[in-house]
Amino acid sequence: MTTSTTAPAPAASRNRSTGALSAFVGKHFGVISISVVLIVLFAFFSVQTENFLSADNLVNVARQVAPTVIVAMAMTFVITTGQIDLSVGSVVGLSAAALGLWAATGNPVLALLLTVALGLVIGLVNGALAAYGLLQSFIVTLAALTAVRGIALLVTGGYSEPIDSTLIRPLAHGKLLGLYTPTWIAIAFVLLAWYVFSQTKFGRYVTAVGSNAESLRRSGVDIRRIQMAVLGLAGGAAAVAGILTAARLSSGSPNSGTMFELEVITAVVLGGTSLMGGRGSVIGSAIGAVTLGVISNGLVQLRVDVYWVPIVQGLILVVAILLNTKLFSRIARTRK
Amino acid sequence: MPTTATERPSHAQPRVEMADIRKRYGVLDVLRGVNLRVAPGEVIGLVGDNGAGKSTLMKMLAGAVTPDSGKILVDGVELTGAGPREARAHGIEMVYQDLALCNDLDVAANLFLGREIHHRWTRRLDHKRMHAEAAQDLSTLHIRISDTYQEVGNLSGGQRQAVAIARAVTFDPKVLVLDEPTAALAAKEVEMVLQLIRDVSARGVSVVLITHRLQDLFEVCDRFVVLYEGVLHRELQPSETDLSELVTAMMGK
Repeated sequence: MTTSTTAPAPAASRNRSTGALSAFVGKHFGVISISVVLIVLFAFFSVQTENFLSADNLVNVARQVAPTVIVAMAMTFVITTGQIDLSVGSVVGLSAAALGLWAATGNPVLALLLTVALGLVIGLVNGALAAYGLLQSFIVTLAALTAVRGIALLVTGGYSEPIDSTLIRPLAHGKLLGLYTPTWIAIAFVLLAWYVFSQTKFGRYVTAVGSNAESLRRSGVDIRRIQMAVLGLAGGAAAVAGILTAARLSSGSPNSGTMFELEVITAVVLGGTSLMGGRGSVIGSAIGAVTLGVISNGLVQLRVDVYWVPIVQGLILVVAILLNTKLFSRIARTRK
Repeated sequence: MPTTATERPSHAQPRVEMADIRKRYGVLDVLRGVNLRVAPGEVIGLVGDNGAGKSTLMKMLAGAVTPDSGKILVDGVELTGAGPREARAHGIEMVYQDLALCNDLDVAANLFLGREIHHRWTRRLDHKRMHAEAAQDLSTLHIRISDTYQEVGNLSGGQRQAVAIARAVTFDPKVLVLDEPTAALAAKEVEMVLQLIRDVSARGVSVVLITHRLQDLFEVCDRFVVLYEGVLHRELQPSETDLSELVTAMMGK
């Protein structure tokens, strides 16, 4: 860093470094608190169960959480703009079903492309209705949650479509450097989402829309395009999740992704993203999604009743949010 | 006193000309045919009671509100009503009363909102350069904010107002509209803002100042324009008037 030669320079630069530290803690306390929760859970399950810490199990967890991580990336953008997308679970179901139907026609590559395009289109329709139709995204995507699931059931007659393509199967079962393909895809999504969210104009406008949309509009930015784009991304990400789910089961079920939207939203909120908009973290969301996966896997390893999983996930959500709003934010404030 | 008596010899071309501006919200006639001319470098004090239409008139100039009828010309070119971007392209900058800042973004991000610097190929924001330029801009304007990485939400009211004004000034505007810029400021900060107004008008920037602190107007204004119930009621010269006459004019007398 170049500093000027004027007298107050040392004081200014010292201010900047302490300021940067408090700004860092302030900006990332959501990520810090969910990381603490994850480490504690990780340690607990490692000690309490024989199998949790085994390489096989961890590789498995990393595969299981991939769809949630992928959609949580896009959902972070949506929620940071102050919107919500309740339709992602239904889009997973329709994408899985559509992939099954289209793959049966004999061109798996085209089927994959069409499926992703379908998700994007659904997301963009949601986005257009919310941004240009001036409807609340909650209402629009609630309608889509119902309607899109209905379409999935309608086109399949309620049955799963078997997928036997040798090209689609490796998307879920292929392995590279010890990790399954979905894990690698999820990692790619996280890196890309982090870059776009924190390093580009688009990402900054996503935050600004949620923080003060009117301010951004007065700055000459088309806020409706941003609001529409993020919902389009969520639809596209949900289609990818649907593809991975169908590939893993070797069949496209119209019932895939039921309640998935709530898991994704929970992951995002766990990661410190504010439902009010203006404050989000893609890294936090990824850690949040992994935390939910670790809870369900760890409890299975503990051999407790499987019905405990949603109960514990709910409790962890409350604890993480309390840590987030009460403890870490206070630390960040006093550091100022 | 008829309003025409205070008209000065008109400049060949006013910087801003607003002609017969009208706006109605439902049954409420906010503006009923207002004409306003602003010369280059002129500082105008736009005053009037609450609801007289001052803020609405200035939001129209800044493109945030579209008039029902009437013309707005900047340097003789008519604005088409295409919004804030068009107004900004014509050199109009407005600092809003409700502080058009994003509290969740840092100081530099707010100063550069809508015109971020980024690399052409990677699309990556040039954070370092924006922070450096932001610090430079603030120090040029004698605004003391030690750290451009601070989130605006953590600043004091006065500091936030200073950031908002700095943001407007760094666009290098032809016309700067300030809506209640000193309302939330400490006495020392008020003087800083007034000095800022003198500085920018000396550079040829026209300033329209809306404020309830009438004593500030006498310090910096070349002319007072009084709105009353949506019409231009009086124009006054600061040298030929005093506080009580101004207050009387604001009450529509």
